[in-house]
Amino acid sequence: MTTLDPTMGMRRSQLYRRHINNNAVFKKTGSDFVVSHYDNGNNQRTELDQARSMAICDLSTLSRTGFKGAGAPIWAESQGVKLPDRANRAIVQPDGCLVAKLSDQELLILSDILAKSHQVTALGEQSTSDHLENDTQTYLLPRGDSHCWLAVTGNQAAEMFSKVCGVDLRSHKFALGNIAQTSVAKTNAIVIRQDLGQTLSYFILCDISATEFLWDCLLDAMQEYAGSPVGIRALEQLVASQ
Amino acid sequence: MKNRLPSPYGTLINREKSIQFEFESKTYNGFQGDTIASALIANNQTLLSRSFKYHRPRGALTMAGQDANTMVQLPSNPNALADRELISEGLKVTGQNYSGSLEKDRGEWLGLFSRFLPVGFYYKAFFKPRGIWEKWAPLIRKKAGLGVIDQQLVPDYYDKQYKFFDVVIVGGGPAGMQAAIESAVENCEVLLVDENPSLGGSLNYSRFDVEGTRGKKQLNELLDAINAKPNISVMTNAVCNGWFADNWLPIVTKRRLYKVRAKQTIMCTGSLEQPAIFHNNDLPGVMMSSAAQRLVHLYAVSPGSQAVIVTGNNDGYGTALDLDDAGIKVNAIVDLRDEPIYDDIAKAAVARGIRVETGTTVYAAHSKGANHVAAAEIRKIVSQGICAVQGEVITCDLLCMSVGYTPTYQLACQAGGQLTYDDQSAMFSLQNCPQSLQLAGSVDSLWSLDAVLLESKRAAMIATNALELTNEKVTDRVTENTLSPNHPWPIFAHPKGKEFIDFDEDLTIADIINATGDGYEHIQLVKRYSTCGMGPSQGRHSALAAARLVAAATNRTVAETGVTTARPPFSAEQLGHSAGRSFYPARRSNMHYRHLEAGAEMLQAGAWYRPAFYHFNNNDRQTCINKEVSNVRDNVGLVDVSTLGGIEVRGADASEFLNRFYTFGFLKQPVGKARYALLTNEAGVVIDDGVACRFGNNHYYVTATTGGVDRVYQNMLKWNAQWRLDVDIANVTSAYCGVNIAGPNARAVLQKVCSDVDLSAKAFPYMGVRLGNVGEIPARLIRVGFVGELGYEIHVPQQYGEALWDALMSAGNEHNIQPFGIEAQRILRLEKGHIIIGQDTDAMSNPNEVQMGWAVSRTKPFFVGGRTIAELEKKPSLRCLVGFVIDDSKVPMPQESHLVVDDKQMTGRVTSCNFSPTLGKAIGLAYVPPQKSDAGSVIEIKSLGGVRVLAKVVNLPFFDPDNARQEL
Repeated sequence: MTTLDPTMGMRRSQLYRRHINNNAVFKKTGSDFVVSHYDNGNNQRTELDQARSMAICDLSTLSRTGFKGAGAPIWAESQGVKLPDRANRAIVQPDGCLVAKLSDQELLILSDILAKSHQVTALGEQSTSDHLENDTQTYLLPRGDSHCWLAVTGNQAAEMFSKVCGVDLRSHKFALGNIAQTSVAKTNAIVIRQDLGQTLSYFILCDISATEFLWDCLLDAMQEYAGSPVGIRALEQLVASQ
Repeated sequence: MKNRLPSPYGTLINREKSIQFEFESKTYNGFQGDTIASALIANNQTLLSRSFKYHRPRGALTMAGQDANTMVQLPSNPNALADRELISEGLKVTGQNYSGSLEKDRGEWLGLFSRFLPVGFYYKAFFKPRGIWEKWAPLIRKKAGLGVIDQQLVPDYYDKQYKFFDVVIVGGGPAGMQAAIESAVENCEVLLVDENPSLGGSLNYSRFDVEGTRGKKQLNELLDAINAKPNISVMTNAVCNGWFADNWLPIVTKRRLYKVRAKQTIMCTGSLEQPAIFHNNDLPGVMMSSAAQRLVHLYAVSPGSQAVIVTGNNDGYGTALDLDDAGIKVNAIVDLRDEPIYDDIAKAAVARGIRVETGTTVYAAHSKGANHVAAAEIRKIVSQGICAVQGEVITCDLLCMSVGYTPTYQLACQAGGQLTYDDQSAMFSLQNCPQSLQLAGSVDSLWSLDAVLLESKRAAMIATNALELTNEKVTDRVTENTLSPNHPWPIFAHPKGKEFIDFDEDLTIADIINATGDGYEHIQLVKRYSTCGMGPSQGRHSALAAARLVAAATNRTVAETGVTTARPPFSAEQLGHSAGRSFYPARRSNMHYRHLEAGAEMLQAGAWYRPAFYHFNNNDRQTCINKEVSNVRDNVGLVDVSTLGGIEVRGADASEFLNRFYTFGFLKQPVGKARYALLTNEAGVVIDDGVACRFGNNHYYVTATTGGVDRVYQNMLKWNAQWRLDVDIANVTSAYCGVNIAGPNARAVLQKVCSDVDLSAKAFPYMGVRLGNVGEIPARLIRVGFVGELGYEIHVPQQYGEALWDALMSAGNEHNIQPFGIEAQRILRLEKGHIIIGQDTDAMSNPNEVQMGWAVSRTKPFFVGGRTIAELEKKPSLRCLVGFVIDDSKVPMPQESHLVVDDKQMTGRVTSCNFSPTLGKAIGLAYVPPQKSDAGSVIEIKSLGGVRVLAKVVNLPFFDPDNARQEL
């Protein structure tokens, strides 16, 4: 069996070397690679347990996109996208992808973590073919490459975030689907509460060039809660255990 | 441990766990939970350290970490508070601020000369004759400072954490505990903070009833109630070190600074017992009554065997009962009051037959040559501060002081509370606190336990009502009939002085009086002139006495005199708490590790990591750079330009927008072409540049400088907020990774991996832009020539960056393509005379000065800075940026910012200078006067070491003046 390696693909997470050094086992989603799990033979704790407690997962190679402009919400709705009722809210679409309304004129669309949703790709292609800039005041944003995408999961996640972020992200204060566009470890970030199954979880997106910096900061912050990276398999298990 | 009391004394110690430690190289034993001070006093070692100025022996004063007397040296931590720091196995502790030994300090002679060292001594003594300070300074500096810093210290890990609560209660004594319980209504998150190891405050050690049982009973009841409330969080060993706007509270623990946001704050910070002021009141063995009670009850330590208590209230009698219960003989209670009104506790003390002297004070403490109090000289009080000429000496090894309190007002005052003084009660009290801050307990001038508990409930009710969690009718403030615990004048001057007001700074009564005599009558000036209140304890035990003395000396009331400003931090915090875990964001392009693998020496440009140059065969830096330059000129090189700014400008008005924003004309720019974009501000100053690539009628992709893109983006948003053009602006800098492949073989290499774009010079000319694919990677291709060679900037989505790098390096293998860094790029652009904004421009540079007048449209109606540039063009230039060469290879090459001079006159400066491998000589750019700007002029540059270097002004560019190479 061939061992999958992100260098076999064109699109590579800024973190792939860290994953390899941590004995990551990769899986392919579309043409890109994502960590399935880490092969840490001596670790008795399963990644699922880890994800329920305190974990971080790199989702940066999963698809995501964004639209901006005065016509963006109307255009998105015309494409069948269900929009949140107000800015700084996110809602899950019937096919599993997540639509986050960052402002009245700006949308961020994230694939579901199982990468089964095709809406992200479809919307991107549609926007290009529609020449949206000319017709609808809707402008495509390259969110897939401008921002990294990390998932922080576990019942200690909010406590960990309080070490790096000044927004109260505790579950009873920061409801499911809430968005904070704020500073995390002095880096501009979008934080979305998006529980996976029954597990408190957050998606965090920051400038992609600062991915390694933020990853290291979050790992450092979660050390006292015995947090560690997990692969997407653990996240899928969280969702499946719903 | 000679002085250890039996159980149940010692609520903080664990007698099952013995701990051995060292003090002054001598081994001592203590128990787990002991502080350094309690363990030492248990072993009869009461001398802990030496005072700052006169090296006087000092021992425990408060046993609460509130004073500087107990500052000791730990191996990695100077000025540790011995009454706060716990002992640990093998801990090595020494005293501070002594010469020779702690017991026999050679520096003690300084006290003999105190008469000649009045306040303001430095100001008066060392300013004449001129220059004398330089002589004295080394000697004085040698004596100054406390403790020794371990310069080899590896810092511990400190960090910070945010916390959010509805109500934060500062102070975990009876008031704080009761307030927490009452605040913890449904949906109210409550934090109770206390600096001590356990909750309870005075309930742990003070006497509230004759039997001495109420404190413990009350404590248990409150603890049970707190434990039953899951919405109360408790932090002990945690100091709230300040109050900032909107109830932002920094709470310091051992290794973490909590940044707490509270909607309501209840200050239950209690009060600070004050010293009596008499001769030798600083001797070890002289301590606050509460300190003696703490030693007895918290640590099971007998602070002496024979005690005298000087008091101005009934609390001193409670201390007498406590000491008597613990088997310590109380030789006398010396009551300053003429006719004290006794409460039950005082009556009980009298009933035990303890000698009481009323209308009397301790006039002096005597050590009899030892470093510890040996006797108290008591005298009748004749009038305020005046004693009878004769008194009585009573033997004692413990002298307790109980003459009054000040509210711990610091945090409340930082919140805007005002301190007032009531002459009747001789007490400070707090007024006018903000609505989001309540007071409860002795900080609110309540003294009986019942009143404190009632008022705490009321404070909590106000807080929860304000949060709309309750809607209770708030009762009136509690009143109590308890007598004031403060004596109005426990200050007794002595002919030999040494009646200390401020223990930190060794300031006596005379020092404060003399400060006012020298004209410093305002309390703030007294502080600065005398240094009173400027020591580690920040005036906690000196503010009241100093205010009273200044008031009396200046014929004002204490209320009029006031106290000095109490600024944060409340207590000393380590630098680690402020520094903590700092975040320094770092940005890396997707191809970052390819640079490292290729041997790059990285540098940081802002937050970005960029390759400066690549090491090659152990060659030196300059050789490597020169090689990279030559490879670009002769062959093909690849440089990472991902850090360049990228901004999408899209919409029907995109052309109009750029036309207004940049100096050039953009309305007629064809699709598929790039145009140089020079940006000026309203003052006509050059602030950035880039290229505007037109990929569609309504779509421009504009590049900007690495350091300037954020400002450009902000400016674009700002201007369009005014212009309201139909345009969308998006900063996509990080979304794209970019390289510049440059050199005569650039096309040949690129052709191998880019088949869907016709790269021929005719189909894709200089300043053309195309969309295509490099391998399988979607790319934006831009034919620009920053380095002056045939070249293509290739911008691809960020996460394809490394694959792009790999594809091009692989394709260029047969041409021996080599990466080059920004050092080589700087030389290459310099050879072409291209300026770098920010390096070759400054805050005054207009386009014409920097030979960029060609990039300014004079025909369009408006652009930012256009009007100013037009006006500037009507006037003669004051300076010009020119190119220069230095033909003499033996002179030291000038560097950036070296001066251009004309005889002794500075006439300009060098902005760039480097050795050009291509031309074989030093070349550079410099601002020179207009009369020196013509080619052939000779300028003089003050180079390294002041060497004057002659340089010749030449036309730009230095290389390939016809630009033939970049347009291949």
